[in-house]
Amino acid sequence: MNFELDDVQRAAAAGARAFFAGSASPGDARRALGGGPVAPGRKALADIGYLGIPVPESAGGGGGSVLDLAVVAEQAGAVLAGPSLVTAARAAVLLADQPDLLAALADGSAAFAVLDGAGPSIDAAGADSFLALDGGALVVGSGKVTAGTPMDATRGLASVRLTSRTVLAEDAGERWARARDTALVVLAAEDLGAAARAVQLGVDYAKVRTAFGRPIGSYQAVKHALVDAWVGVEQLRSLVWWAAWAADSAPQELPLAAAAAKAFAAKTLERAAETCVQVHGGIGFTWEHDAHLYWRRAKVDRLLLGDEAEHLDAVAGLVLAGALDR
Amino acid sequence: MDFDDTADEAAYRAGVRELLDQHAAELVRLDSGEEAADAAQQERALRQTQRVLAEAGLVGVSWSREHGGQAGTLAQQAIVNQELARARVPTLINHIGLGMCGPTVVAHGTPAQHEKYLARLLRADDVWCQLFSEPASGSDLAALRTTAVLDGDEWVVNGQKVWTTLAHVADYGILLTRTDPDRPKHAGLTMFVVDMHAPGVTVRPLKQLGGQSDFNEVFFDDVLIADSERLGEPGEGWRVALTTLLNERVAVGGGGNDLGLSIESLATLARDRVPQLPPDRQVLARQAVGRASVAALANRYTGYRRYTAISRGGLPGPEASAGKLAGTAAAKLVADAGVRLLGDDAVYSRGPDSDDGRWQRNQAWLPGIAIAGGTDEVLRNIIGERVLGLPPEPREDKTAPFNAGSRS
Repeated sequence: MNFELDDVQRAAAAGARAFFAGSASPGDARRALGGGPVAPGRKALADIGYLGIPVPESAGGGGGSVLDLAVVAEQAGAVLAGPSLVTAARAAVLLADQPDLLAALADGSAAFAVLDGAGPSIDAAGADSFLALDGGALVVGSGKVTAGTPMDATRGLASVRLTSRTVLAEDAGERWARARDTALVVLAAEDLGAAARAVQLGVDYAKVRTAFGRPIGSYQAVKHALVDAWVGVEQLRSLVWWAAWAADSAPQELPLAAAAAKAFAAKTLERAAETCVQVHGGIGFTWEHDAHLYWRRAKVDRLLLGDEAEHLDAVAGLVLAGALDR
Repeated sequence: MDFDDTADEAAYRAGVRELLDQHAAELVRLDSGEEAADAAQQERALRQTQRVLAEAGLVGVSWSREHGGQAGTLAQQAIVNQELARARVPTLINHIGLGMCGPTVVAHGTPAQHEKYLARLLRADDVWCQLFSEPASGSDLAALRTTAVLDGDEWVVNGQKVWTTLAHVADYGILLTRTDPDRPKHAGLTMFVVDMHAPGVTVRPLKQLGGQSDFNEVFFDDVLIADSERLGEPGEGWRVALTTLLNERVAVGGGGNDLGLSIESLATLARDRVPQLPPDRQVLARQAVGRASVAALANRYTGYRRYTAISRGGLPGPEASAGKLAGTAAAKLVADAGVRLLGDDAVYSRGPDSDDGRWQRNQAWLPGIAIAGGTDEVLRNIIGERVLGLPPEPREDKTAPFNAGSRS
């Protein structure tokens, strides 16, 4: 058994941590709420090669695995970066037989968003090329974008009405489902990074903030809340790695692993972010502090691509159908 | 990344399976139905099972050859544990001895003690127990009050231990005592090997929440222990006990085995029961099955990460405490989902062989798991302080002489 990142993946994670630390921050997420740009932005993500990780080398991408992408996505989540690597992961599966569009995805010359019906879609604000399932066919087109006042501006959520459409593939239901499962994995990976950072913020603060004559982290009520959040993060890491591995190497396990990871991610990030706010006390409830930006990410992400209830039901359905019988 | 054995591990696993097949007829099986029969007969059968496995080289896998082991790796020990579970061989009767007492004797015992105890422990010729907890010292182990007073070359022991698993069948125990009450609580302790058949040792089984009697209270009335049965120096008992507790972590650190009933068991039950529910109840039942499955899968795959670390030669650190904490929580979700699927059939049991009895017994076992081997709360303190680096609570009891304090 070898259920651990390899040296190349660990180096990629370190590189991604450094890249995102220098190119995006919760401060950027706060400014985006006031209308500022999402950081690091599509061009920077294309230039560093992250949008192209899931794109084959023959189409100008990095030819990486879903696990490679998940490792980078975790670091993106830690600083609430945007646009989301979820879109790159999902579009790369949908466009697998479209080398020109894949090349445009990788180099950022086209701004893709994948639409789930008429509801809000990730990174639709600012996109110009929309992928959708239309009566079983995969289509690409342009559309009219309507964005509301965002709860988490880094997600680029907007609803889109297609104004043109070109059919890329008929009978694309299976591909669409696989693309959505892959998107769940990468979304869970971004949530993993955000949750880990939220817990770290809480732990750091609990070590230095004193009350009643000692650090608040010495009180079990505070300590145990942080520990429970941390344990959740480590358990989520295991599900994210399993789901990414399944996407790459065991597609028959992907539906179960992806639904499990997304369901667990929703709850884990929410608990981590709420604990982060609570441990900080009053300062954690202010606009100036970063805690609410993780809280916003949690409250939005838990509803994206299906909420916890939907994915728990999917897990139950698969388990009842014998997904664990080998 | 993969979930396959290495070539070495696969060869080792195949060898283990072959040995288990060869000796299948000599081993107790969980599904053999013998458990409900005669307790004394069951004990003999379990001792026999361990002896057969020891002679086949499947006990003490990671122990050194000098001490009667196989000089294997922790990964090989984990493989043996997985294969024993797969073959439905119950937990070895001497699991406390193998996991905790034996390694403590190895680390702190004299050559004479090694010679006298270890080979017999591996074969379950002697069964061992761990005499640590007392009525007034559970999580706060160092508050223990059982005394040992030196008289010539013998120690005289008086006091009481409690929650002692296997004491009712044990031949020996490792016994933590207070030998110097004038020193701070951690500094006045001494560890011994005690003969459980010695005069003055009284074992009384305790009946647990679920009705079983796996653990006991043990009374010591002027029990004499030769000074040669001391483990470590007088006053060094806390350090010796830490060896025991570290090995407890190693013993539970590997694997990815579920702590309670498996998700697969829940799936089997749910396939039968969910379709019988009205549609609105099916929705709720599926949420419960989904939630329990996700928690158990998260813990299972986290166990695979620990197993990977062990197979690369690492030792489980304090983060392994998270495995027991999350594993207990997941097992409770699985048991709760199972019992609720049984509904009315779970409010009474139709007998030990029926499915409802199995789920109820499991449900009644899990509160103990959240307490034994480090309560959930103690595990949270360990993770908070040693993994996250949060400060400990200030304590006055660590420095004051034990007999000057409140003794609590």
